[in-house]
Amino acid sequence: MSADGRDSLGDLFAIAARELRTVVRTPAVVALSVVFALTVVAVAAAGSGARGGYVPLVLDLAPFVEALVPLLAVALCYRAVLSDRESGELDVLRTFDVSRPAYVGGVYLGRGLALVFVVFGSLLAAGATVPVLSPPDPTFLALNEAADSPVAFLRFSVLAVLFALAVAAVALAVSAAARTARQAIALAVGLLVAFVVGVDAAAVAGLASGNLGIDAVPLVLAASPNGAFRSLVLGVAVETGGSTSPVAALTGLVGWVAVALAVAVLTAWRPVE
Amino acid sequence: MTDRDRTNPATDESETDPTADGTTTPPTTDGDTTMPNPEPATTAETASDESTGESAAADADAATAESGRPAIAATDLSHAFGDVRVLDGVSLSVAPGEIVALVGPNGSGKSTLLRFLARVRAPDEGTVTIGASDGRARVGYLPQQPGFRAGFSATDTLDFYAQFVDDPVDVADVLERVGLAGAADRRVDALSGGMTRLLGLGRALVGDPAVVVLDEPASGLDPGMVERLFDIVSDLADAGVAVVLSSHNLGPVERTADRVVVLDGGRFVADGDPRAVVESVGAADLQTAFGDLVATEEVTGR
Repeated sequence: MSADGRDSLGDLFAIAARELRTVVRTPAVVALSVVFALTVVAVAAAGSGARGGYVPLVLDLAPFVEALVPLLAVALCYRAVLSDRESGELDVLRTFDVSRPAYVGGVYLGRGLALVFVVFGSLLAAGATVPVLSPPDPTFLALNEAADSPVAFLRFSVLAVLFALAVAAVALAVSAAARTARQAIALAVGLLVAFVVGVDAAAVAGLASGNLGIDAVPLVLAASPNGAFRSLVLGVAVETGGSTSPVAALTGLVGWVAVALAVAVLTAWRPVE
Repeated sequence: MTDRDRTNPATDESETDPTADGTTTPPTTDGDTTMPNPEPATTAETASDESTGESAAADADAATAESGRPAIAATDLSHAFGDVRVLDGVSLSVAPGEIVALVGPNGSGKSTLLRFLARVRAPDEGTVTIGASDGRARVGYLPQQPGFRAGFSATDTLDFYAQFVDDPVDVADVLERVGLAGAADRRVDALSGGMTRLLGLGRALVGDPAVVVLDEPASGLDPGMVERLFDIVSDLADAGVAVVLSSHNLGPVERTADRVVVLDGGRFVADGDPRAVVESVGAADLQTAFGDLVATEEVTGR
């Protein structure tokens, strides 16, 4: 049983495998993933970004990714724990001595892997349009290849994956804390709105009222996964040359993952002594 | 139907205590059934006294006596949902190889008590102790409405749960035991209600638990399946497994259970051998006795 760490790890992987299989067998999630992939590739193919190079493509894709990745992550995770609770499987798993960290970790790993596959795969497909759609380099100009390289796009893709995992952790916490589907939907929608517009609006309001100095803006933006992702894209992937350290934004993303998973572990069930 | 009622000494002769005050003890054959809230050791000794050595159940009772511990013991359980008190200081001790049937009207707290016994919920007050005989500490649990991940087959489902136990599990054998060998590859969402319940029973049996808690296992099953289910329960008890179940199928309960515990108003109003419970109120069968013991509108209105 799950008496020691080795068995807990085995429990975690067993649950992760089940989650992965569940995601693959859920038509709605598969359809949403396909829509996400088609949208990202379509933006790359239809926009001017791919014709201009990798960095222009990143700038083209960033707003779409910032809006669509949270939707995908929430769709994948917001009912993960709740559905097990509603079906009684959570109770039964407890009789097998599965620990809360192993259960939550397994659900997160399984669904996170699916999310990583969809997000990273879609972005790589979009990135693959650059060599196809870009005109050949003019031979009469000396080009600095460091200004636009696949590495920038790769960084963007990795940051998008981190962003997706952060939102997935929050959605998982929602699914663990909610006791009904209605609660889960309300919480998920509320958090999405807060992430997408709430924190940005708060920063603007703070600046307008004078309560926030310009130096505090990066910190405020880092308080939401969306703001942190945007800061990292502009600072690390595109390298706009701003003096702001990406540490605050990175800490924000990692912090959301850690706090959300802790909440999920604590609220998944109440232990019986 | 198995011959448990002939081979298990606990069903031979015992008494009931219709006035029990929320405390219940396994029936004895020496007439001493009124002692309130006995220690688990008393349970074991009682079972041992009647051991004939002729059946697995008797062997299990002897094993209990040797270990001096019941398979599971609940002590002074109390619980309330808001202002509604569903359990009021009930105690229950079940020996290895014993079948205890928990009966009572809807909303009487049976499922709540079973969740406490399965250790998936904690009561406001009281304790539940697992005897851990043979090192098997897991309690197999069948919820009232068992659910499974859609899209998985019956075999996939049990394979998944088999990963959480130490010893290898013969999933095909488990499915055979619960009568689902023919539906091993069928998706769980394509199973009938009765088959879903049998799969839930199979899931509870994964890992050979020492105690099995079944919440209305016969609900929604046709008469043939009910008989099969109670045969499975008898086989489990013969193998030394302590079984606690709730059921409204009082006919099979009367034929199969070693003890019937009637829960009403948060307390046990009767506890004993089914025949003794029936005789204690001068009824013809357990169904009629239930109506006499539990004066709910549901029952008296019939």
